[in-house]
Amino acid sequence: MIIEMSKVRVLGPRERLPDVLRALQDLGTLHLASPAAAQSLAPLELSPTQVRDRRHLVRALEDVERALAELAIPPGAGPVPHGDLSVADLARWARLGGRVRRAAERLTMQGSALAEERALIDKYQHFYSAFRSLLESEARWPNATAYHVLLKRGDVESIHRLRASLTAVIGDEFELYARPLPTGETALLVVVSSKAAGRVEHLLAEARVQEIPVPAAYGGASLSDAIPRMLKRLGELPGEQERIRREQVALARTHGAELKRARAALHDRLQELQALPLSAVTPRAFVLEGWLPAAALGNLQTTLAGTFGNEVVVSELSQEEWASEDAPVVLSNPRVFRPFETLIRLLPLPRYGSIDPTPFVAVFFPAFFGLMVGDVGYGALLAVLGLVLHARSRPGTVLRNVSEIMGPCALFSIIAGFLYGEVFGDLGARLFGLKPLAFNRQEALIPFLLLAVALGAVHVLLGLGLAVASNLRRHPRRALGSGVSALMILLIILALLAAVHVLPGGFFTPAVIGVLVAFPVLIVLEGMVAPIELLSMLGNILSYARIMALGIASVMLAVVANRMVGAIGSVTVGIVFALLFHLVNFAIALFSPTIHALRLHYVEFFGKFYSPGGVRYQPFGHWTRSTA
Amino acid sequence: MTILFTVLAAALAIAIPALATAWAQSRIGPAIAASMAEKPELSTTAILMIAIPETMVILGFVVAVLILFSKGA
Repeated sequence: MIIEMSKVRVLGPRERLPDVLRALQDLGTLHLASPAAAQSLAPLELSPTQVRDRRHLVRALEDVERALAELAIPPGAGPVPHGDLSVADLARWARLGGRVRRAAERLTMQGSALAEERALIDKYQHFYSAFRSLLESEARWPNATAYHVLLKRGDVESIHRLRASLTAVIGDEFELYARPLPTGETALLVVVSSKAAGRVEHLLAEARVQEIPVPAAYGGASLSDAIPRMLKRLGELPGEQERIRREQVALARTHGAELKRARAALHDRLQELQALPLSAVTPRAFVLEGWLPAAALGNLQTTLAGTFGNEVVVSELSQEEWASEDAPVVLSNPRVFRPFETLIRLLPLPRYGSIDPTPFVAVFFPAFFGLMVGDVGYGALLAVLGLVLHARSRPGTVLRNVSEIMGPCALFSIIAGFLYGEVFGDLGARLFGLKPLAFNRQEALIPFLLLAVALGAVHVLLGLGLAVASNLRRHPRRALGSGVSALMILLIILALLAAVHVLPGGFFTPAVIGVLVAFPVLIVLEGMVAPIELLSMLGNILSYARIMALGIASVMLAVVANRMVGAIGSVTVGIVFALLFHLVNFAIALFSPTIHALRLHYVEFFGKFYSPGGVRYQPFGHWTRSTA
Repeated sequence: MTILFTVLAAALAIAIPALATAWAQSRIGPAIAASMAEKPELSTTAILMIAIPETMVILGFVVAVLILFSKGA
């Protein structure tokens, strides 16, 4: 659900504004907003000195954050106490940030350069090993020039093309040797007479092949001269890389804690400066406005009254004085539903006053996922994967939430697996004689299709029901339109079921009459687009057939995997292939049902009621890990 | 002969939407990849955009199943 917010106005003498802001920052609950325009109020503008300070703080904070990122220092938990901020402290932290950033960046660049150099030498080393005997005599070729060329993996065509082009341009005044390298590339050594060198260089450039000339840094005109120097350098590189790593660790150890304090302090000071223009002033007084969760209002009033007495007044604005669209949004759901907020946050937040779909997603997403995967074996594997991810992730991270979403998905997959009688496809039936509790989806395609479409009808009708509830107070006409749409869909389904004799035939005529009566009402309420929207809703319901389609694909792949054991001559090879195939199917089962279950929610379900565009709740407070 | 046409009809019912889906995704994929390179926050839109054309092949599959089952092939 979206928690109830209160909008408050804080009034006080102008000279107490900095103290009040500090108290509010300590509380960390008020989401500041510019006060409504009034004749006697003027927005507070920053002085030129404050504007300059803000610019410096932004730059210093960038330096500190860059330094922390370069040194891979984790954010740590909770606020970082930094005490009262003096100008001298801020200046010292700004200098420290700049200095450490430059040092860290220099080390990173040196590390990258060494890694590149190592890769380059490896490449030459392979080339040299391939043509060692030829290259050792390279210096003794008086009237010849050698070209070293590397061809990409599998690019054998280029050898023939190059040979043909060389013959066409310089006749038989060349030798071309080709050797495969351990990396999969092909090394080419082209030796040509010196007088034809110019034409060959032109030809190589035109052929767009990767020529590797002897690097000047290692001296020598030939590769055989340069290689000993390269090998010597290769021996030195690990030591240099280790030195860089030690310097990085030392830098992080020496300055890590101080940089974290600097980040928190600079951030807090910057927040203070950015909060000032959000206040309005008269010659003697200031006004601050903002939102906070209704439950936190009492604490704000008590704290400010305790600190400032009667000097500062906190009043709650009535709901008529503010537009609900402007209010920030805080999602608050029971612990079991909370991980699914991650799926909602992939979209823009819902507007304040609309419906938070998290509880519905928490029920339907795992159900759809489970119905698509529907296998006890895959469900158990997913549960294990979820447990591993849970153990390796930190609380509050996206990875932890994903691991917690995996739990219900695994549970529903296992339940559906028992309903379909599947353990790694038909392995359960073949080994343990497992029988489906509901139906065998390899054979009962039509019942499975009907189940999927029926679920779609329930989901879409629920979406329309939520649209009615969401719009009832503010947009009653829209709510009525959604209600009539839902009723028409229900009547159409009843008529269809009666037509195919699932329901008694007596339902048919009243249902059709109901549709005919509701249709003009819908056009009056929603205009001429209503018939198109109605048709698109029926399309939405049919779209849930993907639950059946993906489910069938999943079980068929599992069955094919099992049949490999008997189909391939050797049982061992068959088992290996079957395991690999199951692994691929499991990977597909993780990815595809997730995408399609998400799509069914975002497009078919949310399309009926979801109202995006909510403002994120960002209380004015101290730096915490969630700020990062 | 009827069975042959039934099977052919079912095959076409899934093959044509599959080609259409593939064509649509071949256009959407590069476009969304380019957009995500500039705006990584479009990842949700990317998921939706890629999944939307798959509806065609899924409905094609459903129609193919219905053709096969209605004719008892």
